[in-house]
Amino acid sequence: MESFIGLEIHIHLATETKLFCGCRARFGDEPNTNVCPVCLGYPGTLPVANQQALFLGYVVARALNCELSPRTVFERKNYFYPDLPKNYQISQYEHPIGRNGFIMVPLPGGEVRKVRIHDAHLEEDAGKMIHAGDMSLIDYNRAGYPLMEIVTEPDLKTGEEAEAFLIHFQRVIRYLKVSDGNMEEGSMRCDANVSVNFPGKGLGTKVEIKNLNSSRFVKKALNFEIQRQIGVLKQGGTIRQETRLWNENRDLTEVMRTKEMANDYRYFPEPDMPPFEPDPVFLEKVEKAQTELPDRKKARFVNDYRISEESAEFLIASRYVADYFEEVVQIGIEPALVASWLSGDVQKLLNRHGLTLDTSPMSARRLGQLLRLLNEERIHGKIAKKLAELVFEEDRDPEIIMREKGLEQIVDFDVLRGFIKNVADEYPAVIHSIKNGDERQRGFLIGKIMEKSQGRAHPQKLQKLFDDFLSEVTA
Amino acid sequence: MKKNWKVRPEDKDYQAFLLETNKKLGAFLSFSFNEAMTGDGEFQGIPLAVKDNIAVKNQPLTCASKLLENLVSPYDATVVSRLKDKGAVVIGKTNLDEFGMGSSNQDSALAETFNPWDPLVVPGGSSGGSAAAVAAGMVPLAIGTDTGGSVRQPAMFTGVFGFKPTYGVVSRYGLTAYASSLEVPGFIARSVEWIKLALELTAGADPHDQTTTSDVLAEVRPIKKIGYLKVDDGLSPVMAAAYREHIEAWKDLGYVLMPVDIPALEYAVPAYYTIATAEASANLARFTGIRYGVRPDYAQNPQELVKKARTAGFGREVKRRILLGTYVLRSGFQDQYYHRAQKIRTIIRGDFNRVFEKVDILLMPVYPTQAFPRGESGLSHLQQKLADKFTVGANLTGIPAISIPAGVRDGLPLGFQLLAPALHDRDLIQMAQLWESKTSIPAPPNYPPRWED
Repeated sequence: MESFIGLEIHIHLATETKLFCGCRARFGDEPNTNVCPVCLGYPGTLPVANQQALFLGYVVARALNCELSPRTVFERKNYFYPDLPKNYQISQYEHPIGRNGFIMVPLPGGEVRKVRIHDAHLEEDAGKMIHAGDMSLIDYNRAGYPLMEIVTEPDLKTGEEAEAFLIHFQRVIRYLKVSDGNMEEGSMRCDANVSVNFPGKGLGTKVEIKNLNSSRFVKKALNFEIQRQIGVLKQGGTIRQETRLWNENRDLTEVMRTKEMANDYRYFPEPDMPPFEPDPVFLEKVEKAQTELPDRKKARFVNDYRISEESAEFLIASRYVADYFEEVVQIGIEPALVASWLSGDVQKLLNRHGLTLDTSPMSARRLGQLLRLLNEERIHGKIAKKLAELVFEEDRDPEIIMREKGLEQIVDFDVLRGFIKNVADEYPAVIHSIKNGDERQRGFLIGKIMEKSQGRAHPQKLQKLFDDFLSEVTA
Repeated sequence: MKKNWKVRPEDKDYQAFLLETNKKLGAFLSFSFNEAMTGDGEFQGIPLAVKDNIAVKNQPLTCASKLLENLVSPYDATVVSRLKDKGAVVIGKTNLDEFGMGSSNQDSALAETFNPWDPLVVPGGSSGGSAAAVAAGMVPLAIGTDTGGSVRQPAMFTGVFGFKPTYGVVSRYGLTAYASSLEVPGFIARSVEWIKLALELTAGADPHDQTTTSDVLAEVRPIKKIGYLKVDDGLSPVMAAAYREHIEAWKDLGYVLMPVDIPALEYAVPAYYTIATAEASANLARFTGIRYGVRPDYAQNPQELVKKARTAGFGREVKRRILLGTYVLRSGFQDQYYHRAQKIRTIIRGDFNRVFEKVDILLMPVYPTQAFPRGESGLSHLQQKLADKFTVGANLTGIPAISIPAGVRDGLPLGFQLLAPALHDRDLIQMAQLWESKTSIPAPPNYPPRWED
């Protein structure tokens, strides 16, 4: 059997205000506080298109290699739902911002698949209805929030591929800084169209799956649905065109509505807003907002910085981390060192403190400073790790902490000789046995000398001076 | 401009007069005598009547519908705030056909409005309350809305001036939408000076309404040629005779009068009702009783609540238009109805453009009859729709039009309309003022003029 998956992805665009009014577009506030007569659909109010949302919409469509519409038109999509204030959604239909695009997606197993984009359009979100006992409550804070819907062609085959697509897509929109793409918070949502058929027969009957609010559910739900459809066909049955809902508690899809119950949305152009025609200045800004996307960046990192595939993969997972990495490298630190610190010590500290790089006290400048101190041998590796911890605890520059706490490496020969002399005086018997060839005691003494220096003695220099000391004593 | 106003909003005598008159006419649905003056300027202390489908902050916004009987507006329409800024005081909200759907005010779900000329005939509609209030001298100026003639026809039925500006010149923000692409706020007054002032103070782009134009109104042109629409049939005998006389009157004033044809006008009414009801079916979808408005005492679930609220809240004509609009927008049928109507609209626009290549101003009837009788002996809903033939052209094309009173016959006013190319609103104001200065504008027998010299 062959299976075909197309995705419909909604992302919340990161605008200050809602799509058609001046209300703040923000989550987590008290219900029904970010509302006004316009987004509540009071009689007489009119929508005014948010220019920032249009801009971000074009940025996304361009990044997905779409043909950009020279004249994009809002339309009314008519359906009644209690959380939809006007009972029509202002969306786009005949003239979306972009169409006929594609995106190159790295799939599990190494294949890079070209997934075609049918269209990318702008629309407003609805509110949220909560059923509580014998009441239904509606929060309209989300109503009018700008959404971009991206519709792919059925170019994916399995749940795993769909999951990989979503992870890649999420990275792309985060790179573009158009959305935080957070599926758990609902700022990225996904519906899927699935069909299966006998090999060579083309697309089968399409079933839409809704309520896929994490990339893991997408994988599970689609694999379940593909198996369900294959089961039906193998038993000689036919697939009904319907919409199914993923039930995350029971791990299966359930019928939500059949084709007969489908809405006729009666689209027609929104008479309250003229079409939007981007001018050359606008399109130039869209072009300027384009950024190197994750796959390209990874190739460049491997090639230019001579770091491993794994390191590069770690770095490009977030644009912030990738940019941070390059900032530290710019300071003049060896890329491999930066990469290993980021994936190693810094990551450990982030985990311990429950932070992400962008919210941590370890700025790129501070990590650069820390690694420079290490390079210049003003601190050694162990101290560097300790300094990093202190930066997280104290939120101050590593060099200042180093100075204040006297963590700088001791390289002065006379001082180091002093430590050696002191320890030698304390342990004359041990010196004696080393001189007699018992090298095992050597480590013990070096440790003692290190202790004397509070761990600050330059390890190589100390070794060298200790050797000199021994030979002098022998002579 | 006239300075000797005889009453002010805060006068107790004036308020008593309003209450008394309203008992007879039912022009107002609500009064707001405690409304404070918030601006300063040309309209200082001037009482304004506002059609009750236009938002006035802290005043009812019922749209003459049971569904919105309890709604108080949280904001001001732009056309209202711009006049308030100049000192106007909104004294009350006037009756209309529910959501502006009708030509007689008999489709108001909340009150009956009577024509000051004769209580047995309708005041027209849908801005019938506004027109009756002006004709009876209750206010010098009223704001209405004109979707398919709703300012011009009631103005004509009550013997006053009714002006529909070019689409996009005066903001629609705050007008309860019936048919968004067709309607505009309009002004009704016994003296053109009021209309002129209101237009100049309210015209101009509005950041709340993206369909307002940044183009400014054209300066007044010298008018020489008036084209008059050739009307072979369809007018009542009284109206046909009056139309001929009216054409002669303009000739007597020294204008060149030329007959013109607008062939596509034959299709104007079906095109108009297709587009208007399509837009209405979406525009009225927001009224569910959930966020505001009247809702049923009990419902099993939100869907049932919506159904109950709309079933009980909308009147028959409103339901009819919502159904019609839903029908013409169905997928697979849009080419046959909605898209075809839009094509007709384009053709009509072309016809009007050709006319204005030949003449400066166009003269047309407003309505085939004078104010028609109330109740069963009047016009049916279908007859009323067909009679919109002369008014809907200006809405389909967006051009400005003004209906002007033209004497009285059989105790009822006569009137006709002048139309101009888009943005030439000032030409119409000037022509109406000229007409006003050359003829007398009679008032209804029991309602002497109060606001004019």
